[in-house]
Amino acid sequence: MIRSAELWGGLVWLAGGLFVVWSGYDLELGTLSEPGTGFMIFWLGLLLSAFAAVIVGKAVLAGGPTLASLWAGTRWRKIMIVIVALALYAVLFERLGFLVCTLPLLILLMRAIDPVDWKIAIPVALIGSFGIWAVMEKWLKIQLPAGTLWDQLGLV
Amino acid sequence: MDILAGLGHGFFVALQPVNLLYCFIGVFIGTLVGVLPGIGPVSAMSLLLPVTLSGTPESGIIMMAGIYYGSMYGGSTTSILVNIPGEAASIVTAIDGHQMARQGRAGPALGIAALGSFVAGTFALVALMLVAPTLARVAVKFGPPEYFSLMVLGLTVLTFLTQGSMLKSLMMACVGVIIGLIGLDSINAMPRLTFDRLELVDGIGLVPIVMGLFGIAEILTNLEHAMRRDLVEQRIKGIWPSWSDWLASQKAIYRGTVLGFFLGILPGGGAVIGSFASYAIEKKLSKTPERFGKGAIEGVAGPEAANNAAAGGAFIPLMTLGIPPNVVMALLLGAFVVHGLQPGPLMMTQNPNVFWGIVASMYIGNVMLLVLNMPLIGVWVQLLKAPYNVLFPLIVMFCIVGVYASSNAVFDVGVMVLFGIVGYLMRKFGYEAAPLVLAFVLGPMLENNLRKSLILSQGSFEIFVTRPISVVCLVIAAAVLIAPLVPVLRRKRDAIPLEEAN
Repeated sequence: MIRSAELWGGLVWLAGGLFVVWSGYDLELGTLSEPGTGFMIFWLGLLLSAFAAVIVGKAVLAGGPTLASLWAGTRWRKIMIVIVALALYAVLFERLGFLVCTLPLLILLMRAIDPVDWKIAIPVALIGSFGIWAVMEKWLKIQLPAGTLWDQLGLV
Repeated sequence: MDILAGLGHGFFVALQPVNLLYCFIGVFIGTLVGVLPGIGPVSAMSLLLPVTLSGTPESGIIMMAGIYYGSMYGGSTTSILVNIPGEAASIVTAIDGHQMARQGRAGPALGIAALGSFVAGTFALVALMLVAPTLARVAVKFGPPEYFSLMVLGLTVLTFLTQGSMLKSLMMACVGVIIGLIGLDSINAMPRLTFDRLELVDGIGLVPIVMGLFGIAEILTNLEHAMRRDLVEQRIKGIWPSWSDWLASQKAIYRGTVLGFFLGILPGGGAVIGSFASYAIEKKLSKTPERFGKGAIEGVAGPEAANNAAAGGAFIPLMTLGIPPNVVMALLLGAFVVHGLQPGPLMMTQNPNVFWGIVASMYIGNVMLLVLNMPLIGVWVQLLKAPYNVLFPLIVMFCIVGVYASSNAVFDVGVMVLFGIVGYLMRKFGYEAAPLVLAFVLGPMLENNLRKSLILSQGSFEIFVTRPISVVCLVIAAAVLIAPLVPVLRRKRDAIPLEEAN
């Protein structure tokens, strides 16, 4: 039971629902004739918690697939690589800027999952990142982040 | 304004060179994303939402609408040739379409899909033109309780039609409304669930959520296994269906058109359910049902007509009530709002340029699609040969740039990545994203109308059951909620594998 995917899924939503209930209550419920800021949030949180509790209850009683079985036979390590790369990208995007972040990301994604030949990966990454940068900056006049770090280091 | 005068005015707007160009770009990109597996109309429309800001409202919305119905056309190509549906509404097309392709009849399959789509798209437009003004006149009488109940009905129907557990779908609808309420309270301007982050005061944007849940999550799911393609390599010839093909398909096209259109109007319904329902009906009505699954042309013609008619029908609740019936229409609502327009019963009179311009552009767009799909099928086939391991990093990059461009905020890129990961996990654990997104869009309206109704009635919930339209909507919603408890209905629901809009 402890490894049941349904149980863990339900518990996560239950925790989220209870947090929303508390937030709604904290925001002021008001009265029925003049509902307050937290009125809808509070009741939705209760509804979410109730649904999640039913899922937890069903998981306890009936079990279900295990967490490990959800990823059985999949390339989960490769998925992890992509997730970590994207999370790092989101963290570094503002500091390092669009080009410095995007070029390695494209190369990594092309090489790490189903490896693309270097002779294709490098030109595609270069044309892709510089091309989109040129279109955004020159044509659509949308400035992509240049990187605050280079400013701080006095390199720009 | 009477219908013919309105349509004449619409053609005047739609035939302006800039609008023709936007319409062409829309249907071209729509066909492209329909053809390419791994990127659907929702992601493409989110990506291009910022681009529409540079033009007039009608140009931008004409392009967005073009992407939607263009993707319905394009999706059939991948279904037939590669057996991978480019978007969900073409899943059924793959069953008989790909079999036809394997028997050397890819040409007629693609041809009948394009023709059926054209007939259905045109019918849906005529019906939209006739039904929308009447419904808009009724909708003017809607007050907060009617709007609240109608939105509850829309969300309930969508949770019913979504694949998997209805309980989980209802949970996702709750989560969607909660996320939609993040930011300033629209009535007393108090910040809610902002965690003292300035970026959250205006709420979370629709684009990063949609790109995360549908774009990034889709890519992560696709990468779990090496992508296998069963591309039909032989030369495609004889695109125009023969007379016997046409005779076999025409009734399926007409039936699919009418069915798809009405399912498209229903809140929560749409192209996917339309195509599945059409396939089931054709198989049931056929004198030789055993041919289905082995290359029956009716199995291609009916569903393709249904999904295109539904795409047209879905515009009706958005244009007349201001309520999006599915995720794609929710995005279109976002496009309207970005341009300072509020779709609803007054739009036809207050912004006739936009309403009739869009309707007329869809006529033109349908002709453009026929021209694009019939002679250019060879080009789309070449595109299908682009390997996914090169394609997906570029799609990731487009998602990042699209999200950043929509708000000029780095924060939104983080939101997209977060929702991408959450969306992937949701898929793994069997939680659907479609109810979440629709509820996210409807959330603020839902709350606003609930609170206004309660203020109007001085705190009495009777206001929802004493007004006829409201009570009808709530009774239907209650019936839909109870339906899965009835074994026969539950079996029927389980037979509809539906993941709306991507």
